[in-house]
Amino acid sequence: MNPLPVMAGAAAAWGLAALIALTCGSTRAGIRASCAVSGLGGAAALAAGVSALLSGNSRVVTAGGSVVVGTLQLQATSLAGVFVALLGLIAVATALYAPRYHEPGHTTGLYLGVFNLAVLASLAVLVAGNVVTFLVAWETMALLCYLLILRRPRRSEVAAGAFWFLALSEVGFVAIIAAFVILAAKTHTMQLDLIAARAHLVSGDWRVAAYLLALTGFGFKAGLVPLHVWLPEAHPVAPADGSAFLSGLITKLGVYGIALFGFVLLPGGPAWRGILTMAAGAVTAAIGILYALNERDIKRFLAFSTIENIGIIVTAFGAAMTFLAYGQRLLWAFLLLAGLYHVANHGTYKTLLFQEAGVIEHVTGTRDFDRLGGLAHRMPRSSVITFLGTLGIAALPPLNGFVSEWLIFQGLFQGFRTGSHLVAILIVLAAGTLGLTGGLAVYAFVRGYGIPFLGMPRTRQAAAASESRQPQAGPALLAAACVALAVGAPVMLAGLARAMRTVTGVTLRPVLLPGNLTVIPAHTNFSGFSPTWLTVFLLAVSAVPVLIYLAGRPRGGSRIEPVWDGGIVEFKPRMQYSAMTFSAPTRVMFDALYRPSVSVHRASDDPAGSSGPVHYESEATPIFERYLYRPVIRAFEWLADVVRPIQSGDVNLYLFYVFAAVLVAYLIAAL
Amino acid sequence: MTSQSATGLNVPATSEELRRTVARMFGRSLHIRTLDTGSCASCEQEIRLLAAPHYDLHRLGFFFTPAPRHADLLMVTGPMVRAFETAARKTYDAMPDPKVVVATGACALGGVYQPDPFTHGGVGGTFPVDVWIPGCPPSPLALLQGLLVAVGRLADQVKDLDFALNRTPR
Amino acid sequence: MPLWTLRGLRRGVVTTRYPARPDPSAVLLPTPPVFRPDALTSDLADRLVAVCPSRALGRDGDVLVFDVGACTACGRCRAEAPQAAEDSGEFELAATAREHLIKRIALDGSPR
Repeated sequence: MNPLPVMAGAAAAWGLAALIALTCGSTRAGIRASCAVSGLGGAAALAAGVSALLSGNSRVVTAGGSVVVGTLQLQATSLAGVFVALLGLIAVATALYAPRYHEPGHTTGLYLGVFNLAVLASLAVLVAGNVVTFLVAWETMALLCYLLILRRPRRSEVAAGAFWFLALSEVGFVAIIAAFVILAAKTHTMQLDLIAARAHLVSGDWRVAAYLLALTGFGFKAGLVPLHVWLPEAHPVAPADGSAFLSGLITKLGVYGIALFGFVLLPGGPAWRGILTMAAGAVTAAIGILYALNERDIKRFLAFSTIENIGIIVTAFGAAMTFLAYGQRLLWAFLLLAGLYHVANHGTYKTLLFQEAGVIEHVTGTRDFDRLGGLAHRMPRSSVITFLGTLGIAALPPLNGFVSEWLIFQGLFQGFRTGSHLVAILIVLAAGTLGLTGGLAVYAFVRGYGIPFLGMPRTRQAAAASESRQPQAGPALLAAACVALAVGAPVMLAGLARAMRTVTGVTLRPVLLPGNLTVIPAHTNFSGFSPTWLTVFLLAVSAVPVLIYLAGRPRGGSRIEPVWDGGIVEFKPRMQYSAMTFSAPTRVMFDALYRPSVSVHRASDDPAGSSGPVHYESEATPIFERYLYRPVIRAFEWLADVVRPIQSGDVNLYLFYVFAAVLVAYLIAAL
Repeated sequence: MTSQSATGLNVPATSEELRRTVARMFGRSLHIRTLDTGSCASCEQEIRLLAAPHYDLHRLGFFFTPAPRHADLLMVTGPMVRAFETAARKTYDAMPDPKVVVATGACALGGVYQPDPFTHGGVGGTFPVDVWIPGCPPSPLALLQGLLVAVGRLADQVKDLDFALNRTPR
Repeated sequence: MPLWTLRGLRRGVVTTRYPARPDPSAVLLPTPPVFRPDALTSDLADRLVAVCPSRALGRDGDVLVFDVGACTACGRCRAEAPQAAEDSGEFELAATAREHLIKRIALDGSPR
């Protein structure tokens, strides 16, 4: 099936949904209608994405354009297939989620209209066939996402978060434009597939420059450290489905851009390019999860976790490029495949978690971990769904996060095949850093699930929580998708392997899936495992204790008493772990990173409690904002001060400028 | 001694049956959970000496355990301070059947303290006590004798003592 | 070889053989009193009841009620009336019923 017409259909559906939302979105029926159409578009996009994965790059279609903008060309590539499918899945999940999440109102209609247009713009980015289309779609997507974040513009944190998003998006956009311009100028074409074909025309220095600009520009969007500072500001302040969309897809557009430049437009380069990418990814992953552990706000926590997962994906990409530089084509394709699989997985469970965070916020009125607790009994279905998402993101078997991280680790562990000791050590260091982040991620998500859902409610609002009338179909669909991606991993990987044949020219299928259910990391003498059989095995093994209990429990009456708790007379919520104390060990171990500033106030020097409460406050230093961004901003402000005298307001001076400019232009033309 | 019938109801089985069951199960291996319901800790000091080399209750097959779930015998000291009653009851309930309760020391037997707003004055009202060990504090030898009476290895001989020296016949 | 093991071997086993054999240190234990009904007049009985700090002694008509369970072996009754109360030397006092520890001692001059 040719994916492009189906994607056009999806785009039309989203455009229609936006129209419905903008016109009748203030009624519940209007919201439902808009979401239904949007969901249909999502289903179409999902199908189209999968088909694009399998059928290879389609031909380039010219979709009009003008003399001013240039021709708009579209092409459905295999590389974009995963992202389009993910976009479709997220659109369907949001369509199921939004009607119950949003209150009908004028701003809701506007919001849903902007949302659907943003989804449309993202699709356009993914199917852009030439530079102009890409850039126009990219900028449209960025502006629409800015409007998305500004759902409730009167709250101060919303305005600040949206500003951070837009500012850094624009800075990145400059770098992206520069990268594309270099390539287009050197290959004398604007069409992306022709640029890829003529990549050899770009000389070494320009290749390096273009790649570094692309890494930086797309790194701003993806959230690589230190370009990530907008993410924890912007993602939490958007409404839940907006945050889900931002974390689940928009960051992946940055990843798509890095993959586009690294694997399609500029494949092959010196090893240090891959090592640099890998190092950036590893550092991002570690720092992302370390900051996640320090957060009290659920959504900020999830935003930092997104940064961590982007780091994992980019590490995989970087290692892939390194392997190519040493001629290991199988591992090159394999790690690209593993990274794309992680893109799909993370998009699924991160969207789920953000949607559930939105449900929690609506039900309890708070996003603070330390005001929640005991939600598992009060919101049973939501807690099961969130648990599946948590298992996925913590990369615990048998779910999909485990499979994709296993693949990435197996690829990294084969660093010795590069033949260079130094590079092998660097790759192992990256693997070690990912191992650290994996462990911290489990720790972080035990906290992320345990504190709100388990234990006793810490506040009255948490105790009064109830999940009736809350959206459940959307998150449930995503949870089912997580399980399907895990158990059906061989199917997914077979599809991705087909896509890899188009993108990299490497036939990966026979070395990836020799049987039908066992996955081998590109070389048969290394390791292998079967996600499907692992799931079956785990289910069977967990049945053993149940059977032992059923067979061996005492005949006759038995007495059921509460668990022995040391005889505590009454449990109080304050006896539990709080979110910050649970993560205190990391603050102790990594205090060189957090550099906490601690302030303690007491009413007098009497022993604590006898004269009044003791006030303790600890705040992690925002090192990137303070030591990187603030100096840069101050430098620009200084520069602006220096240049300001030009704008004196004196009309005569301006006329002199015009005269001087004409004179200079004349002189230059004459020379 | 309490035990569950087949229907799960808390009815006492015949005491002879129970005595034999307890002797069989606990006679050579017993796990003791001590419970201080507000004592002055003199009883606890004597109880602690039981594990020391001179008295060595391990040679009799007796052991101390902090977990009520693992315990067979509850050794209670103190006059059952009211604030502790819930925790004491929880400890008792957490012990699986069959179990034995031994009240240790004059406080637990109702001697030293009168019931007042802060204390019950004795543990007899909170648990069904099987063996009472007097003393203030009972020496480790008395404690050993009490434990052996509880598991049926020694007989209750105090009931035959009358604490009155023979009258001179008139 | 640590020196304390040699010391231990020299001294021998210190663990008591109780209950198989009586423990020689048992004679040092403070124990509840035993009463002489011959010497217990009514006045003396009242004085003994007043002096007992743990309410182990009580009067029930012409019977002295002695609660062995409440006795702390403080020795005040023995000090008050040495002719009527002596050290019993009994320390094996565990009872399977609380009533077994309540002893009724007839006072002097009353029928048994």
